[in-house]
Amino acid sequence: MAADEKKSLFELRRTQPAFRGLEAGHLACQGCGQALGARLVTEAAGPDVIVANATGCLEVFTTAWPRTAWRVPWMHSLFENAPAIASGIEAGLKAQGRLAKVVAMGGDGGTFDIGLQALSGMLERNHNVLYVCFDNEAYMNTGIQRSSSTPHAAATTTSPSGTERMGKRHLKKDLLSIIAAHHIPYAATATVAYPSDLRKKVRRGLEIEGAAFLLVHSPCPLGWGHDGALTIEVARLAVETGVFPVLEMERGDVVAVMQIRKVRPVSDYLKLQARFSHLFKESPEARVELEHLQALADHHIEVYGLRGTSPDPRDSEGADTVRRGGLRWA
Amino acid sequence: MLEAVEGSAAIAKAVALCRPQVISAYPITPQTHIVENLASLVADGQLRAEMVSVESEFSAASVVLGAAASGSRAYTASSAQGILLMTEVLYNIAGLRIPLVLTCANRAISAPVSAWNDQQDSMSVRDAGWIQLYCASNQEAVDTTIQAFRIAERTELPVMVCVDGYILTHTLEPIDIPAQGQVDAFLPPYRFSRALDPVRPISIGNLVTPEYYAEARYAHHHALLRAKDEIEAADRDWAKISGRRSGGLLSVEGRDDARIGILTIGSVIGTLADAREEYPDRPAKLLKLRSMRPFPVDAIRQACRGLSDLIVLERALSMGSGGIIGTEVRGALFGEPNPPRVHNFAAGLGGRDMPLEIYPRLLKAAEAPTPTRFEIMDVEMEKLPETER
Amino acid sequence: MGVKTQGAGPVTLTRGAFAHAGSSLGLKTGDWRVTRPVHLHRASPCHNACPAGENPQAYLALVEEDPHAAWESLVSANPLPAVTGRVCHHPCEIECNRGKFDEPVAIHAIERFLGDRAIEHGWDYPVGKPASDAPEVAVVGAGPAGLSAAYHLSRRGYLVTLFEAASEPGGLLRGAIPPYRLPRPVVEREIERLLSIGIRFEPNRRLGRDMILADLEKSFRAVFLAPGAERGREWSVGGVVPRDLRNGLELLQEWLSIGSLPKYQRVAIIGGGNTSVDLARVLKFNGVPEVHVISFRTRPGPGVSPDEAMPALAREIRQAIEEGVMIDDCRGVTRLILRGEQVVGVEMVHMKELPQRDGTRKPVAFEGTETVLHVDHVIPAIGEEVEPFGMEAVLGAHQFFPVDAEGQVQGHRGIFAGGDARLGGGTVSDAVGDGRRAAEAIDRYIRGVAAAAQAAPASIGIGELNLNYFDHAPRAGIIFLAPEKRNAETEIEAPLGAGEVARESERCFSCGECMACDNCWTLCPDNAVLKTTEMASDGSHYLFDYDYCKGCGLCAHECPVGFIAMVDEP
Repeated sequence: MAADEKKSLFELRRTQPAFRGLEAGHLACQGCGQALGARLVTEAAGPDVIVANATGCLEVFTTAWPRTAWRVPWMHSLFENAPAIASGIEAGLKAQGRLAKVVAMGGDGGTFDIGLQALSGMLERNHNVLYVCFDNEAYMNTGIQRSSSTPHAAATTTSPSGTERMGKRHLKKDLLSIIAAHHIPYAATATVAYPSDLRKKVRRGLEIEGAAFLLVHSPCPLGWGHDGALTIEVARLAVETGVFPVLEMERGDVVAVMQIRKVRPVSDYLKLQARFSHLFKESPEARVELEHLQALADHHIEVYGLRGTSPDPRDSEGADTVRRGGLRWA
Repeated sequence: MLEAVEGSAAIAKAVALCRPQVISAYPITPQTHIVENLASLVADGQLRAEMVSVESEFSAASVVLGAAASGSRAYTASSAQGILLMTEVLYNIAGLRIPLVLTCANRAISAPVSAWNDQQDSMSVRDAGWIQLYCASNQEAVDTTIQAFRIAERTELPVMVCVDGYILTHTLEPIDIPAQGQVDAFLPPYRFSRALDPVRPISIGNLVTPEYYAEARYAHHHALLRAKDEIEAADRDWAKISGRRSGGLLSVEGRDDARIGILTIGSVIGTLADAREEYPDRPAKLLKLRSMRPFPVDAIRQACRGLSDLIVLERALSMGSGGIIGTEVRGALFGEPNPPRVHNFAAGLGGRDMPLEIYPRLLKAAEAPTPTRFEIMDVEMEKLPETER
Repeated sequence: MGVKTQGAGPVTLTRGAFAHAGSSLGLKTGDWRVTRPVHLHRASPCHNACPAGENPQAYLALVEEDPHAAWESLVSANPLPAVTGRVCHHPCEIECNRGKFDEPVAIHAIERFLGDRAIEHGWDYPVGKPASDAPEVAVVGAGPAGLSAAYHLSRRGYLVTLFEAASEPGGLLRGAIPPYRLPRPVVEREIERLLSIGIRFEPNRRLGRDMILADLEKSFRAVFLAPGAERGREWSVGGVVPRDLRNGLELLQEWLSIGSLPKYQRVAIIGGGNTSVDLARVLKFNGVPEVHVISFRTRPGPGVSPDEAMPALAREIRQAIEEGVMIDDCRGVTRLILRGEQVVGVEMVHMKELPQRDGTRKPVAFEGTETVLHVDHVIPAIGEEVEPFGMEAVLGAHQFFPVDAEGQVQGHRGIFAGGDARLGGGTVSDAVGDGRRAAEAIDRYIRGVAAAAQAAPASIGIGELNLNYFDHAPRAGIIFLAPEKRNAETEIEAPLGAGEVARESERCFSCGECMACDNCWTLCPDNAVLKTTEMASDGSHYLFDYDYCKGCGLCAHECPVGFIAMVDEP
């Protein structure tokens, strides 16, 4: 019976109702947000997509030779050149008259930091590529070092908290504004907590002719210090507190936001994560940083107009709801 | 048909004849004219290719890597700092066994800044796993460029065609630009067995654990060694079409009874050949090293038989060690019965003039009782502070 | 596909170390796991709350797509949904987890919709004809308990003879519930179809008059007694009663059967139950200018526990007030004010039921709060008891049948009892549940099987659901006839349309039961949840692939309905 069941599971895997470009058997940690995010992206992109992947967790946990978890053509070159590789693939396909979508993927290190120049080039040349950044807010692959995407006051191995420091001293880089300045046709943010919204944005980014950018907030249980079971919970709280604004931009203008009806205090988000645990110790410094993070979230809510009014608690076009029979809206 | 063309324009025409599908480059002197010429050809509709003008050499190399992996014939060119900036990508391209062609318009490396010619740039990436072919003339640059695509695609190794900046790239010469039909007969359309294709999805660029890394290096090293045959074959086959040879891996020219040989690389061979005519009483064999990688050990041994002295003249060095080619030649000759004495000099660094008189001075130096292990020629000590002499 | 191997030798290196698509499947990451997700059916509060044993969640899941299947699910517990959908006090809605989120699902309206749909389409009850030599069981009383028992016994293959004292089946459905709550055609059409499943119906057969219990015990393998409670309890105030005293239930039955009522001007009805409130409204509809309902309990409302509240349905009390009935709650009658033997008023006092030293609760009158209510009639409606005639042998000195947990009358093997005649019986839904439980017990009794001792599993609480996946949505607006348009004959509550029912059913949280939302399948970072091609709503079409599941627990945490639990690896 067990053998039959195994065989039938194997067959079943081949006949799933959605194409999934990222297969089981990868080596991501339990509850990895990025693994989920990458799979959702491939799900929306479909099989006719070529992926260029920057160095990082995603690359390492999916492709330890001789195996690969990818079911779509996939290429990893280096840390800082995924946008250029994707540009080359796109140009190559164009030259050959072949039709396939091109998606570049990178972490926040590969995107906010070392690959920013190549990304800027790709966006400026308006290659028909969707660049997806899985933002887990630090260099996780190398052991949780701070990146320019690490939030203010978060503790990492290179921005630890101590008697003289409250974690990272600097702010999270406002990458979105940099992307917006490129005046590309489409840019958006999404999170693994809202898979329908994420998939919709992937499709939109791929439908649009020209460069598209998608920033996907992807909790890292290991680096953020939360249980793997809470990955979605944490990602959801990032939205509900205003810490991570979910929005869409066309030609640099914000055209849609996922509004928050019931804004929750940032501490609801922070207290689930060990990287912010030093902020919950009784000290004036901790208090200041907590208030600072609250002010940053409030600032997001204000500048992006995140406060919602519709009866849906998150005004999410239903992105957060489920329905009997799996009838997700996207 | 011969036409007087600037070297860069000739190289651009040769590239265009190979029907590249994607060209990507970032401007750097003295490579610029090649890319500008290609851009003009594209702009004029004479070349149907995706021309991707990128924001850095790093991206230029990455774009052609992506393009070639997607199944397109791809080309790029650079020089000096550009080569160094793209070094990480160069290693990556080769390790992934992706065929493409890069022209290196050789130029000295900063600092100090020098916009002039030597070969420190391409020599610095000799271990990147690329095939490196050096050209002695613009005609050779044209022919080698065409051959390079075939070699790359047959061996699934990238090929760097090294052309001395200014000396070749900016010099007007009468050059025979082949006809399109000749090139088409020589170079079939690019078909890449591991192209990124949703129909046959594979993952390229995987992590390899210690259990297999040595095997991967072995395979790559031996692919380069085996590429010698393809380099020779390409030269031979192209000669059947064009009537010209570019010298295979290594070519030897001079009287059979000459006991002294000069081995060098790149355009300086022309200077030496002219000088030999100026000094007919001092005939030396001229050994033109065309393939730096793979390094033609057997051909060098063969060419050195019967020589008493071999002078190795190069335009780069390995700081703190000495000559690069000289060291490797000595290594190649190690164990040979009666090998020639090897005298190693670097010259022409950072665009320093190499007049005809260099020829007798080299021969004179070879008369020294002890062979010169390595020396940079023409260094004027009085220009140096005493502490650095 | 996959990694090429040469016999048992090592894997052969590929050029540039490329890998074949999906070859990671060769790596079983399941061995990282220390806990594993499993599907766990949990009892929903509505199911646990239903006295009739319905599982509303099951039929809510089906109603939109397949109303017939939903109805079959519903009648697997309760054969009278068109009736109970109207008259039940629906504790399911009181317990509904959605009530703690916004408003409870209007389960009763959907139950009624399905019952009405079945009547409209003449759906046959899913019961096969019993074999001609099947064991025979007698059921006495064709009220909701008797009908339910007969139905469930038939479902179990028994030949059932249903005896009824009256000429028509229905019991109090016909005899005590006014048509504005339960239209007669609904009762008739539901029962008619129910009896047609092969139940032998014997009307005009009253125990003790037309037959004796001992004969039934001889002729049938088992007997289920559900005669109802028809006899009004004795009532007086300090031993004093008015000359023309009429009992509330008796008046109601008289009006329902022959349509006549005495001419009253000002009436006080004593008692806070449904009979009292029903009679009050009937009197009001029949033109009695002033009708009071006096109860020592309080009116139901927020913060009022069911123990303290008047036992009548909250909705009925609300509507009665709308119609002009005066509710004198927390009051007791201390004295009848008589002129001769004629009532001219009652003396009322504030009362409250309070716990006593012995743990029981007893109404306590507060001296000094007496008032006089001028009425010309006082009608007691303080509850009913079993008419013992013909059942003395079983009833003994009791007013109700003392039954065990199985429904078997204590000390009488083979005799079971339920409905209003049972001690602690109450509502129509309780009666339906009694009938079903008794049928199960009779089945076990006849087959000689012991009851499996089984504690009802605890309901899943709202804290075990993940409410992030549900939007607020208002409960279906149920339309009631305006008070000024109401009369005794016209049904007051309007039905929901199919569209409203579909929308309302989507409000169900599906507590503890898979709703096939795909969340686990969508959110598993390891692709370890697979979906079969069958469409099911019980979770059976999601499979955990333990070869790859790393046991992160994300699926369990994000399951909206609490259907996935993490358990330690075996």
